[in-house]
Amino acid sequence: MVTPAVAHIGLWTALPVLATFALSLTDYNIFDAPRWIGIDNYIQIWNDPTFRLATWNTVVYTFWTVPVSMAIAMVIAVALNQNLWLRTWYRTAFFLPQVTATVAIAMVWLWIYNPQQGLLNAALSVIGIPGQAWLADPDWSLWAVILVGAWQGIGIKMLIYIAALQNVDNSLYEAASVDGASVVRKFFAITLPMLKPATFFVLVISIIGAFQVFDQIYVLTDGGPANATTMMTYEVYRSAFQNFQMGLASAQSVCLFAFLLVMTLISRRATRGDDE
Amino acid sequence: MNFRTARQTSTSQTSTRPASTPHRSAGRRAALRYTGLGTAAVLALALSACSAEDGSAGADSDAVSGDITLLTPIYEGAAGQRLLEDELLPQFYEQYPDVTVTVDYTNFARLNEKLTTGVVSGLVPDVMMMGVGWVEAFADKGVLANLSESGISVADLEKSTTPEIVQAGVWEGDVYGVPIMLDARFGVARMDLLREAGYDAPPSTWAELVEMAEALTVRSENGALERAGFDVLSLDARQMYETMLFSSGGSLFNDDNTAPAFNSAEGVEALESVVDLIHTSKVEDTGYSSTKETVNPLINGRAAMGIAHNNLWTQTLEAAPELLPELEPFLIPGDAPGMFVGGTLATMSKGSEHPAAAQALLEFLASPGPALAANEQRGNIPALTELLDSEYAQGNRLVQFSMENLDVAKREGGPSEWLGLRGEIAPAIESALLAQKTPKQALDDLADVFAGKMGG
Repeated sequence: MVTPAVAHIGLWTALPVLATFALSLTDYNIFDAPRWIGIDNYIQIWNDPTFRLATWNTVVYTFWTVPVSMAIAMVIAVALNQNLWLRTWYRTAFFLPQVTATVAIAMVWLWIYNPQQGLLNAALSVIGIPGQAWLADPDWSLWAVILVGAWQGIGIKMLIYIAALQNVDNSLYEAASVDGASVVRKFFAITLPMLKPATFFVLVISIIGAFQVFDQIYVLTDGGPANATTMMTYEVYRSAFQNFQMGLASAQSVCLFAFLLVMTLISRRATRGDDE
Repeated sequence: MNFRTARQTSTSQTSTRPASTPHRSAGRRAALRYTGLGTAAVLALALSACSAEDGSAGADSDAVSGDITLLTPIYEGAAGQRLLEDELLPQFYEQYPDVTVTVDYTNFARLNEKLTTGVVSGLVPDVMMMGVGWVEAFADKGVLANLSESGISVADLEKSTTPEIVQAGVWEGDVYGVPIMLDARFGVARMDLLREAGYDAPPSTWAELVEMAEALTVRSENGALERAGFDVLSLDARQMYETMLFSSGGSLFNDDNTAPAFNSAEGVEALESVVDLIHTSKVEDTGYSSTKETVNPLINGRAAMGIAHNNLWTQTLEAAPELLPELEPFLIPGDAPGMFVGGTLATMSKGSEHPAAAQALLEFLASPGPALAANEQRGNIPALTELLDSEYAQGNRLVQFSMENLDVAKREGGPSEWLGLRGEIAPAIESALLAQKTPKQALDDLADVFAGKMGG
């Protein structure tokens, strides 16, 4: 019974993963056969300031996009779990960025961030705040990308939270109301704890998603200016498809995998408790 | 004499077959008349003669058959696709009815990905359009067919093609790519804006350029830049720097392409000059323009002068034709007159299963008619010298200027590692423009990266 599943996983998941590990120990430039070089690729990564910067940028991006979008998504989910007028319309509106191609979204944000004709600077000028070159200024570009990431990630998180909220027994809220609990008290004493399994799930998929951010960097900044917004996945792409260093790209992918594994374990430990 | 002293003095894939009589626009008719001259071209003669000798390709059209693929970063956009599929390929099919061409469209930014996946998967397109600096890597690794083995020599090409671009298709003395078009980067001034400021000609020295750029810069009361005196940010940072480098008399690599040379005194001063324009003269602010701008600032008046691509003429023709008389090209005044030149070359896969068909397509696309049409669509400079007298070339001031100055043009590339190196240049230049590093520090660090990758 399990043979097809095992074969599927073996062929499409395990084999590529093992191949990536193996290639990470080779010098493979796509033209010549891979040549065994041991851990040289990992030493190169360790000594590469651009990859270190990409790792740091990815951590910063994840640190800000994941909690911010989770918090906003949870608040929206709680609000949209009430009997609001046009509730379904609001849910659709918040979910829309999730199902829209990132390239299309990034094009819109390119316009929003345009220093001369962009919406953001125009809005700021109304209240007397000078505009910025959001994507061209290294002090702002990463934050601009983070904002897009946080905004785009809200939809799917909200959806998961709404699904989880609908499983919370309403009698808990009724009992709390009888005891005179305020809305805030009910949120922290009932809603938040009951959402813990969903929160763990959202946290893990959000971290994985944030660490794999690529397309918005590809369209918005190409990793610039001066590598200010380059990310681990973007460096993997550059190594593989621009520099023809498949072995190095594989080693960078292994580093990304290790990072994700560690982050997932930390998340697991941080949220372990009632769900076990 | 040092630099400063001198200055002070997308993607889609389509299978195509002739479905109907092609509709030709009036503008294309003149271009397509040249198709008849294709058989007279030196390249065509060389290719067909050799094909007949080895029997692999056909002077005999009936012997040429097969399904082949074409990977192209030119013929881009809907207009390019229409040109190729509605006008050019139907002519090719008339001559070679047993050949089917599947076209894979891309752009130069994504060409690497296409080629990489093609090589890794063993599905290298039969015919590939490549940029200057690309042929070396793929020829060195045995991906490209050696066209010299088909009898086409450098000397043959130089009889019919602008010599400056021929070498871009040559690797270790043999021909691997046949040039179709060139593209150049140089200074362009908006003469209407210059006249308003009291100038009647573009700058002839660097000191003049700085003075004029400062005078032409317009800022609002709160200091926001409204017009750049000299725009250096709309062009890719690598190409902008290379234009400055070549105008300073510098080079990317040493003579035998074994080590970087851009961190020479000339190279550092070239970058210092750009940095000074932004941070000292304040003729443009970082972020004011970028390669993602949909309209070049020289067209919409957001810049009075700048470094531009020769296809600015075509862009202006489409967006604001009344401005064409106001576009005045000039060489960036540096130690030595210089200009950056790139181009597009047609190459063939060494492993093509239908070499005769691939060769026939390469020959066709490089022949005068199709080449002229492709250049006109893209606003570039025809590589075939006979096309320089065409109506298109004669009517395009920037193409004319480029041709007049090809003797001082330099191209990028050189070492076989170039494709793995080129992506490192823009971040280094940006780090200097953003004052994160001094120009010398940025270029020295970049040279270290280059040396490491070149095995130095």
